[in-house]
Amino acid sequence: MTTTPVLEAVDETLETQGKPPLNVIYEWLTTVDHKKIGLMYICYALLFLVIGGFEAVLMRIQLAIPNNHFVSPQVFNQLFTMHGTTMVFFMGMPILFGMGNYLVPLMIGARDMAFPRLNAFSFWVSAFAGFLLYFSYIGGSGLYAAGSAPDVGWFAYAPLTSKVFSPGHSTDYWTLAVFLSGIGSIGTALNIVTTILCMRCKGMKMSRMPLLPWLYLVMSGLVFVAVSPLTAAQIMLTFDRYLGAHFFDTQAGGSAILWMHFFWIFGHPEVYVLVLPAFAFANEIIPVFSRKAMFGYPAMVAASVAIGFISLSVWAHHMFTAGLGPAGNTFFVFATMVISVPTGIKIFNWLATIWGGKIIFAVPMMFMVGFLFQFLIAGLTGIMLAAAPFNWQLSASYFVVAHFHYVLVGAIVFSLFGAFYYWYPKVTGKMMDETLGKWHFWLFLIGFHLTFDFMHIPGILGMPRRIYTYEDGRGWNTLNFIVGIGAIFQAVGTLILVYNMIRSYYKGKEAGHDPWDAWTLEWSVPSPPPSYNFAIEPTVNSRRPLWDLKHPEDPDTDYE
Amino acid sequence: MQEAQSTQGHEHEHRSDTVILPAPTPWPMVLALGVALMITGMVTHWVISLLGLILTLRAIVGWFFDIFPHELHVAVPVQTGVMKISSTRTTREQLPVSASHRQMLPVETFSVVSGIKGGIVGGLAMIVPAALFGLLKYHSIWYAVNLLAAGGFVSWASETTAFLCQFHLEGLLAATGIHAFTSVLIGLLYGAMLPMFPRKPILTAGFVAPLLWTGILYSALGIISPVLNERINWLWFVISQIAFGLVCGFIVNLQVKVRTPQFRALPFAVRAGIHSDQPLTKDDEL
Ligand code: HEM
Ligand SMILES: [Cu+2]
Repeated sequence: MTTTPVLEAVDETLETQGKPPLNVIYEWLTTVDHKKIGLMYICYALLFLVIGGFEAVLMRIQLAIPNNHFVSPQVFNQLFTMHGTTMVFFMGMPILFGMGNYLVPLMIGARDMAFPRLNAFSFWVSAFAGFLLYFSYIGGSGLYAAGSAPDVGWFAYAPLTSKVFSPGHSTDYWTLAVFLSGIGSIGTALNIVTTILCMRCKGMKMSRMPLLPWLYLVMSGLVFVAVSPLTAAQIMLTFDRYLGAHFFDTQAGGSAILWMHFFWIFGHPEVYVLVLPAFAFANEIIPVFSRKAMFGYPAMVAASVAIGFISLSVWAHHMFTAGLGPAGNTFFVFATMVISVPTGIKIFNWLATIWGGKIIFAVPMMFMVGFLFQFLIAGLTGIMLAAAPFNWQLSASYFVVAHFHYVLVGAIVFSLFGAFYYWYPKVTGKMMDETLGKWHFWLFLIGFHLTFDFMHIPGILGMPRRIYTYEDGRGWNTLNFIVGIGAIFQAVGTLILVYNMIRSYYKGKEAGHDPWDAWTLEWSVPSPPPSYNFAIEPTVNSRRPLWDLKHPEDPDTDYE
Repeated sequence: MQEAQSTQGHEHEHRSDTVILPAPTPWPMVLALGVALMITGMVTHWVISLLGLILTLRAIVGWFFDIFPHELHVAVPVQTGVMKISSTRTTREQLPVSASHRQMLPVETFSVVSGIKGGIVGGLAMIVPAALFGLLKYHSIWYAVNLLAAGGFVSWASETTAFLCQFHLEGLLAATGIHAFTSVLIGLLYGAMLPMFPRKPILTAGFVAPLLWTGILYSALGIISPVLNERINWLWFVISQIAFGLVCGFIVNLQVKVRTPQFRALPFAVRAGIHSDQPLTKDDEL
């Protein structure tokens, strides 16, 4: 194993130590550096993760025993609306955009995003949108009146959102906050697409680009086409509520189904907007910890692009019970099943990457194994739900809640946690503590399965979702209690993660620039990277530029 | 884009000990605040919107002068030094294969494309038992065709068996489309599974894949095609599927690239991926 000297930079201009705090704050408020913006995205999303998680725990406490009066029905409705909205719009999307912001330019060998100022603007708009949503707790019925958070569900079905059923401003808070965050999302998506298409370093053809930027490219494309209709729908709903239009008012010839179409044309691709970056992290972490090159790179790219397209054509599987007629149902069942093909390709390629590798079970890899396993199960219950007759039985039951949390938590959050452990050394220059990491992993894994495995059963036994309490003697008691315990396990695990992140920042071992012996460009710069990323813009000759540097006697270039 | 170009442009003009980056600016943040306040005014008080409007206008002007007539830049000094690309993990030994090996296990396998080819030929082969079934039971080779096509025509749900035994052009077209599409899809899925079972393609294709697919269809057919569901003969269905699978596997096997002896020579533990040649504690010491 030889080492090759590379020209690198030490940057001192942006060191914050010793500067007056006001200057530091000003620096962050005015920054256009993609890494700082990425970090701000991640911090603000973590704040909302804690808030959304807290709401989840409150809901589970309420449901832990029958006939509970811990919260009122109104408060429960607000809790699940705020939880869903927060997790999707103010935790999921921002945290993934934050990771993308940080990683994409580094991985493609660029100095910054294509539009650095737009990048800052997009971040701040999204952040203010989150604050606006939570301001509803203070100002829901107008300034100074007692607050009321939105309570119409994160999908805000018409006609529940009409003035008649939702007087006051709580629903407006939901609409306007989501609208505002949509502006930020579209801006960031535009930025990521342009950056990837135009700013790659020398020699980085699309066919040599790491898979993470590829997936962010597909994801950003989806954000474009999916969030735009949602934004349009938000404007229509605002017209309905402020100007007396009747887009969704069935009494006046409008259509509630129209809202459903608009919402799910956004809503289903949104699931893939959230899950594609999770795939992206898996694509980077699994090969490194299996000590093998990614298996089937071209198939992975093709499958990702295919998933992007197919996910646009399946939205109405959320509407089987709305009565679309047999032709419609048939189409959407079929389209939904088709998506299992590219997804299957991905799973098999990950397994083939692990297959025969020298697996290193460091914490990031442990989370990836959890991700693979749980994503598989989520896929299976997904296929069950895609079959319309089955869906007819279980739609709006807890089975559905269990299924989508398998995707949202079991796949996305697990992959995200793995990514935190993996890239933390790059971002801070310190290693995270492995022992605490293992505690986090096991607590979270056990908690996850206690909560969401058991949640399927009351669903099959007929427990509907979105109920604030239930009667004794239906056979749901023990199950719900276990589910609640699991939620608390997960909360504790997450708090350990937060503690680990803070502690390691001050006390962690020095990481060096390449602690995992990885292959992509971000590991060729110092940790943390200087503001200009690369002192000399890199040139790459293969998909694993660092492998080539470390193994000049056997570079990848010869094999591609 | 603009920034990108000018950054790069500048870089060539300047000495290489500084890097030109866009200057920090407060205006994007102020603009975002302005827009957010304008919207917040809609749920609070119009004065807030007014404040938002003022901030917005001010920010637009500020942002404008950030870029025109010249984009504001800062020059960040670069200190170049020598950094070694190396790692704590490089002491790990290679697997017991040739020293130049790049860890691409499974070393050789079938490609996804060979799955597609198999899917196409298998799809053709499957027509034989399907037609045979129609011929034996209803004395018409068109029965199976029309049954499949009925998935696309809801109105055929109430048609008689006699109707399904006649030739219908639109039925033939629809059935061909559906059949071609599914065959290729299955081939694709199958091609993706192959790396996991590179040694027994016929077994995989002949039995595992058809059983998977039949299972899925069995649970979903009621809605995908109610007509098919009512009249389907599962025995013949499975026979056709297996015909598909065997032919598909046979075709794929023709595409075989010789598997390198490296792979077969490895002990099972290594092939299954549960082998690691270093104790875990080594990793903890990172
Ligand atoms: C990890 C712990 C979590 C727990 C214990 C939890 C629990 C819950 C519960 C009890 C509900 C209400 C179900 C109902 O009554 O209909 C719910 C709804 C929901 N959750 Fe979670 N959740 C968690 C994490 C997440 C995450 C990470 C996401 C997204 C990324 C998420 C997204 C949603 C959505 C979209 C809804 C639907 C809200 C609605 O029905 O309006 N959850 N969750
Ligand atoms: Cu969906």
